[in-house]
Amino acid sequence: MNNRPHLTPCILPSCLLALLLLVSCSPADRLDRILETGILRVGMDASYPPFESIDGEGNLVGLDVDLGRELARRLGVEARFVANLSYDGLYDALTADQVDVVISALYVDPMRMADFAYSRSYFNAGQVLVVRADTTDIAEMADLAGRTLAVEWGSEGDVVARTWARRLAGLTVLPCQTSEEALARVTSGEADAALVDHLSALAGIGQGLPLQMVGDPVTDALYAVALRRQDSALLRAINNALTAMEEDGTLPRLRQRWLGGP
Amino acid sequence: MVNHLFRTFRAFRAFRAFRAFRVFRAFRVFRAFRAFRVFRLLLFLLTLWSLRPPRVLVVVGPPQEVHTTNPLVGIHTRLTDEVEEWKIQRTLQMVREMGAPWIVEFFPWAYIEPRPGQFDWGHSDMVIRHARAQGLTVIARMGFVPEWARPKDTTFNYMDPEFYDEFAAFVAAFLARYRGQVNHVIIWNEPNLSLEWGYRPVDPVAYTEMLRAVYPAAHAANPDAVVLAGALAPTLEPPGSAVGLNDLDYLKGMYAAGAAPYFDALAVHAYGTNFPPEADPAPDVVNFRRTELLRAIMEVHGDGHKPVYITEGGWNDHPRWARAVRPAQRVAYTVGAYEWARQHWPWCRAVAFWAFRYPAPLHNFQDYSTFVTDDFRPKPVYLAVQEYTGNDQ
Repeated sequence: MNNRPHLTPCILPSCLLALLLLVSCSPADRLDRILETGILRVGMDASYPPFESIDGEGNLVGLDVDLGRELARRLGVEARFVANLSYDGLYDALTADQVDVVISALYVDPMRMADFAYSRSYFNAGQVLVVRADTTDIAEMADLAGRTLAVEWGSEGDVVARTWARRLAGLTVLPCQTSEEALARVTSGEADAALVDHLSALAGIGQGLPLQMVGDPVTDALYAVALRRQDSALLRAINNALTAMEEDGTLPRLRQRWLGGP
Repeated sequence: MVNHLFRTFRAFRAFRAFRAFRVFRAFRVFRAFRAFRVFRLLLFLLTLWSLRPPRVLVVVGPPQEVHTTNPLVGIHTRLTDEVEEWKIQRTLQMVREMGAPWIVEFFPWAYIEPRPGQFDWGHSDMVIRHARAQGLTVIARMGFVPEWARPKDTTFNYMDPEFYDEFAAFVAAFLARYRGQVNHVIIWNEPNLSLEWGYRPVDPVAYTEMLRAVYPAAHAANPDAVVLAGALAPTLEPPGSAVGLNDLDYLKGMYAAGAAPYFDALAVHAYGTNFPPEADPAPDVVNFRRTELLRAIMEVHGDGHKPVYITEGGWNDHPRWARAVRPAQRVAYTVGAYEWARQHWPWCRAVAFWAFRYPAPLHNFQDYSTFVTDDFRPKPVYLAVQEYTGNDQ
């Protein structure tokens, strides 16, 4: 009889534990360094108001700027902005260790997840359905049979509307030159609803147009904080902060301040 | 004593035989058990194999023709990294249905000749077979240097002059293989940008040397070959810039280096940026009609008889790119540009805009240049061109 102890059951958990420790204590994770230096380096391309831009007095302003400051505050550090990056160079700045995070109205890109991680989304810029404030019988795209839907000609909303028009009896798509014109067609009664990007819808409603958004976004374009994939502790910290900001109303207030809407 | 020894020996032999029997029996049991496990594994794999989704049957089908009101209409496809044959076929079918007789497609040298003299024509055969079946004329872009033809740690756009002959041999092999099917080849892409020149300072003289090597080889392989040079990036970079050199100066540099006898036509990249297609050209402006400035340089150097092919260009409607336009403008400008070329540019043979479709979303501004989505939904710009070419019925 073989009296040798069976090593495999012992070795495997030990290896897993060692690996776990190795990963959790990875020197590449920068949360410790951020806490040590007291600086969170935030990368952005400051050319996209109202998310990030330079105002007339040379100040960096926008939703992403305030979000970066608030995230840093909740981490107990100070935000330092690297705002002169080009949009195409945002990920390179992370790779080259010029910044700790990128907050720049950046879409979640599944193709990049081998190298980068994304926080929970803080804004969905996808297409939304907008109707008049007094409309009660339209809650989703399926309710548009026999009605007129205004869209910005050539936009993603136009593509989606044409797809729906093929399967929804009597849906008429009304192409407009801009999303603002599409919203105006709804307020004037020429269209029953408009399918426009979330940002345009919020801007229109924020300007006092008698409109409301209904249902869930028809398409998703999720904005999130991007960071290097190995910075798992930093990712957890940012996600925790974003969740807390959503729950205590900070994030809704920031969105309302910069993007308008209800 | 002897008897005792003999009995002991017999007992030992019997014990050994018994042990051998036990080992043999254990081995047989083990073998049977192992065979059963292997059988179970095979059964499991067989079940998995039988549950696999059926392969998509792709039939090339009868030859088609492109019907169009404007024979210049073209598009740059992106089939290099498309692996599924039905998607290649669907892409080219939709190009035909849009009313575009021309496509530009990239055939990377490194993919086709990964080792010196060893060619893998599988993917390019597939693309050209389907393009021909749809009645499309292919303009083949040549470039992308294999590792064996460049120094270690260089990019795929890096090529030293001692490999120009190898590149010429590849172009010749391509033209020989597709003789009667593909005549047009673009030699390199945007050599006036440093990143497209292996991150070295750009060099119109060296590019001319490349043309000098390729041109005779191409025509020897296919006397009907049309060698397109240039494909220059429209840029305002001044001489000495680390990024590149503006296309007008670069083309003059090519002529000064003696490039004229070594190309049959000029490939032009005509991006409209923020301007409508009819906006006047100027040396300090990048717009669609910048093409006319390049054309003027050709005429000054006695090349007025050579045609021009637009092998990239168009408009982008990304919401945050400074050089982008609104989606509605993109639709109108695209159709307007095809029409402008038809009415005003008798020396232009094709206008192939960037880009028809990507195999997957890129989640950046590039997605806003396409004519159909990655899942083949036509964008409004596609439908507008289809209507313009009379294919909307």
